Amino acid sequence: MFDVFFFVGLPYIAVFTMVAGTIYRFRKDRLGVSSLSSQFLESKALLWGSVPWHIGIAVVFLGHLIPLLAPGVWQALVARRAFLITIETLGSCAASLCLVGLVILAIRRFASSKLQTVTTAMDLVVVNLLIAQVVLGLGVATAHRWGAVWSTGTTTPYLWSLLRFNPDVSYVAELPALVRVHLVGAFVVFLLVPFSRLVHMFSLPLEYLFRPPQKVVWANPRRLLHAHAAVAAMESRRLFLKASFGLAGAGALLSVGVFDKFLGFFRGPRMTPDEEAKLLKTRLDRLQLTVEERELELERIRSEQIFVAKVGELSPKDGKYFIDYKMRPALAFRDEQGLPRLISAKCTHLGCTVASSVDSTNRLLCPCHMSYFDVKSGAPLEGSPAKAPLPLLGWILVDPNGKTVASQGPDGKLEGKPDPATLDVCSVYIAKQYEEA
Amino acid sequence: MPTARTQDLMRFLAERFPLEKFSFRSLVQKKEVPLHKMAWAYYLGGLALFCFFIQLSTGLLLLFYYEPTVSDAHASVEFITHNVSGGALIRNLHTWSSSAMILFVLAHLVTTFAMKAFEKPREMTWISGVVLLLLTFAFGFTGYLLPWHQIAVNATKVGLQSIEEAGRYLPGELGKLPGQIKELIQGEQSVGQATLSRFYALHVVILPFTLCALLGFHLLSVQLHGMSQGVDKATNKTEAFFPFFLLKDFSLWGIGFLVMFVLALCLPFESFFSFPLFQPFDPLGSTPEGIKPEWYFFFVYYPLELLPFWFIMLASTVALGGLFMTPWLFRPANRRTLAFLACAAALYLIVMTVFGQNIYALFKGSQ
Repeated sequence: MFDVFFFVGLPYIAVFTMVAGTIYRFRKDRLGVSSLSSQFLESKALLWGSVPWHIGIAVVFLGHLIPLLAPGVWQALVARRAFLITIETLGSCAASLCLVGLVILAIRRFASSKLQTVTTAMDLVVVNLLIAQVVLGLGVATAHRWGAVWSTGTTTPYLWSLLRFNPDVSYVAELPALVRVHLVGAFVVFLLVPFSRLVHMFSLPLEYLFRPPQKVVWANPRRLLHAHAAVAAMESRRLFLKASFGLAGAGALLSVGVFDKFLGFFRGPRMTPDEEAKLLKTRLDRLQLTVEERELELERIRSEQIFVAKVGELSPKDGKYFIDYKMRPALAFRDEQGLPRLISAKCTHLGCTVASSVDSTNRLLCPCHMSYFDVKSGAPLEGSPAKAPLPLLGWILVDPNGKTVASQGPDGKLEGKPDPATLDVCSVYIAKQYEEA
Repeated sequence: MPTARTQDLMRFLAERFPLEKFSFRSLVQKKEVPLHKMAWAYYLGGLALFCFFIQLSTGLLLLFYYEPTVSDAHASVEFITHNVSGGALIRNLHTWSSSAMILFVLAHLVTTFAMKAFEKPREMTWISGVVLLLLTFAFGFTGYLLPWHQIAVNATKVGLQSIEEAGRYLPGELGKLPGQIKELIQGEQSVGQATLSRFYALHVVILPFTLCALLGFHLLSVQLHGMSQGVDKATNKTEAFFPFFLLKDFSLWGIGFLVMFVLALCLPFESFFSFPLFQPFDPLGSTPEGIKPEWYFFFVYYPLELLPFWFIMLASTVALGGLFMTPWLFRPANRRTLAFLACAAALYLIVMTVFGQNIYALFKGSQ
């Protein structure tokens, strides 16, 4: 019953009263919607009270409003520790600023006899209520820390349940007393708005921030001249200030982004063991490839003959890549007689590696610039960018007993005659003797 | 008593390097920039300079993680792109800004030609600019190899092979010379570790130092001589270099950075190519399809594909010689003629870069 009154009845009554009362005041006396200024009577303490209070409350108000309006975004943001600490620190500083301002304003009301004549009872109620509310808020922030986080599961859904006209007090039923009193205090503040100077929050003269400066002068030709200069100076100062704010803002944003990215860049990645393992594996594989290539190179320096393939593995259509004595790619095919045909795969145009399979008309294609070569002779076809033929390579045929049974030089001269029965198991070698000096 | 020749030399040097103007007063306080319809072109060199600054800073950052060995280069680039915080952004910024730098350098060349900014006493400024252009291309060529993926290595092979091609037009033993030059550049018989190491040294140490030195000379002579008048009928409308021109320059830099930053953030440069080209280079496999140099070499690449090699050799020798001799060749020309020539050159560059592929397909058929 108690809960239902304070957390369902009171908020609706307060908001309804605030809206209806404010509309009523606007309609009844438009110019009365203000906080009666007492600047003429006392201005020094007003400055040190009013300015901190208003700056502080603006920040604190946003800190309460944003989580309410964008709960999802807010939750994602406060999940980051750095953001949470920043926002809580900022909020506490702003609340302290509020408190300092309010205390100065309250003392001012009590201390100045001039002011006491224009001070109503409601003014005193308001200022003390606000002080209590700020103290309560600071108490919540210190006694029950990280309100920015826990509010997302308690007060935010509660306020949304009110807004949806489906009030659910269970969200706030278990909250600490301090928090509940702070909530009730807020509703009382809303309730008092139309009956007090608080109503001036709805007549904020925002256009003052953007309108050009005005200077009141006596209409006198000599002073007019000075006035023009003064207005020009003011205008220029405004422009300068605006530009400086813009640049400072942009600079601050830029440096936040830059630091966020670049510190991370210098710090290096923090990988999970899985990622680390994957990366290491890739690097090992690449190293392995390099090792293999280096071994090929060594073999080519040391050996007189190098194994290419068994004749049986070769086909007339799909060539097998191998590396010749000069570490250039070459292809091994099988010709019509069933003998090996070795041909360089380094395009004579600009050195790309030609593709390994021949097409239906026995042509080899270099994909870089579309050169076609005849697979038999290596000669480039008409219209190809390549003009020189792909050189044929010499080979040696060795039977399983290690006996050389046939050989062919790069000039195509065949020596020896292999036995067709054992041809398939013979091995094809390239030989250093066929390399031109 | 110095001879007449020595005196001529002294006068020549004194006119080209008016060091008496090397003072805060004339370099900063008194410098004026002419205002006329071509005045926008005064900003292009500055933009190229700004791109160089970006290249310098992002390049230094990339140095933290890049490893110049055939086994590790590709893996380290992938590591930068996928694992290091902000690595992809910095790498993309480096590629985007390299392209932008070439673009602005070329635009700067064409416009300064049209504005006859090479006129006496600015011949040395022009020539240092031409060398800077060549250095910029050298940056592009050497940097392209470093990621060691298929397109990088194969495009480098193709580029280097065209040097050897020149051997066919030289008589006798001289015919072997280009081949030897090629091997001198790549350090071994084919593109491999030796090539990677020296391209890395060139790209990261030698070229930057050379470029910085030459850039210093180029900028100093620009400041000493002031902006050239730019149009045939000199205007008397000017604006102060400091602060107005400089502020506009900086705001353009800001816009340029924003554009490049957003591009680098949203659009990896590699998205213009098909994926297999970015697999690690495989020395034993076949060359994948679609091997092309970077876009800024299209203007020489496609003609190379279409026309006889000797013609390209001749044309590029003439063009390069022409660029170096411009201050003397075009001394009597007025700016109308120069602007016409510049437009023709720009048209050629744009058409070959944008439509090179189509022109190639038109003549060769798409097979």
